[in-house]
Amino acid sequence: MSFDERTVVGQVRRVSLKELRIWVREGWVRPAQSDRGPIFDEVDIARVRLLCDLKKDMSLPTDALPVVLSLMDHLHQTRRELRALTAALDTQPEDVRRTVVTRFHDIHNGVNDTDNEG
Amino acid sequence: MSDDPYKILGVSKAATQDEIKKAYRKLAKKLHPDLHPGDAGKQAEFQAVTAANDLIGDPEKRRRFDAGEIDASGQERQERQYYHQYAEQDAGRRYDSGVDRGNFDDASDIFSELFGRRQGSGGHQEEFHARGQDVRYHIDVDFLDAARGAKRSVTMPDGKGIEITIPRGVKDGQSLRLRGKGGPGYGQGPAGDAFVTVSVRPHPVFVQDGINIEVELPITFDEAVLGTKVEVPTIEGAVVMTLPKGVSSGHRMRLKGKGIAGGDQFVRLRIVLPEKIDKRMEELAAGWREHASFDPRKELRRNT
Repeated sequence: MSFDERTVVGQVRRVSLKELRIWVREGWVRPAQSDRGPIFDEVDIARVRLLCDLKKDMSLPTDALPVVLSLMDHLHQTRRELRALTAALDTQPEDVRRTVVTRFHDIHNGVNDTDNEG
Repeated sequence: MSDDPYKILGVSKAATQDEIKKAYRKLAKKLHPDLHPGDAGKQAEFQAVTAANDLIGDPEKRRRFDAGEIDASGQERQERQYYHQYAEQDAGRRYDSGVDRGNFDDASDIFSELFGRRQGSGGHQEEFHARGQDVRYHIDVDFLDAARGAKRSVTMPDGKGIEITIPRGVKDGQSLRLRGKGGPGYGQGPAGDAFVTVSVRPHPVFVQDGINIEVELPITFDEAVLGTKVEVPTIEGAVVMTLPKGVSSGHRMRLKGKGIAGGDQFVRLRIVLPEKIDKRMEELAAGWREHASFDPRKELRRNT
């Protein structure tokens, strides 16, 4: 699915064309480029809605937006990486998984048990 | 059990209608409740498989499901898709923090390596290397270019021109990854990738179903009765097809190998009468009616 600027503004009534262009220029929304201007997909539209929520419903000041976005993006990136790591672990043999899970709990809970590293 | 109809049928999101049909038949044969009397688990599975097929086995419902307009139970989807639902998928990568991805100074080598956060080598901790930004580009291509493959030059956001090879049979919405065609890397980091999403403009004549193409061919009643040779458009140009005697509307003929990348083209016949029926045609029909005993609705009545 792909939408041009006007379609986005038509779908998300809370944003104006002028605002949308500012958000794109700031890099808060990153549409694909094309011969007929920026092209947005579902991810970008969801992001536009989120920006509307933050800015309009929660009245976040404009200066604070990049801070919040950057924290949020870090969080999502980390979660994706963590999920990929979990998926990679899932393909390992049972004993490897168990060892990793046990060690993870030890380290996470601050138990410094190095017995089995002999 | 998952409620993703693709998972239930064990097919990919890109599966053709034919593949879905096959997958459904195979599962239905295996799980049919009459073959497993008293097995409630199998019955529930069978119902899920049937429901999944009802949804994505129907091209129109499937399109609406894929677009998020209806949910897995076929209900209109009202609820809004929140950003985090996308951000956790691969597509969310475009909003990753790029060059300033976290400083894992205290992380072990394996972790740095895993996430591509290795900071130089041999103790040059202050050197900074990172992969360049990915860039995204969107192109519209005509159906025939998508079906036959084409080359296209585009100007990327940074002003650099690149040539994109559109592979034969590219699907609408498919994304092409051009490695190293994105923004330049930092330090000794590699360049980012360019992701090119392709929109295929629909064609008024050719309708695509996976690697096959379907075309509707209008014919006259005399052509249908007597048979003839007709010219049929294909994506590679017109070909001559032989119509046998006595074909009906809706009859499908196959042009082998005339689809996309080894697929076939199916030609669905449609008998079309002239807008104005003249006297001779009327007489012809009246004369035929007098002696013919053909009943095309016999089957219909027997089965209802």
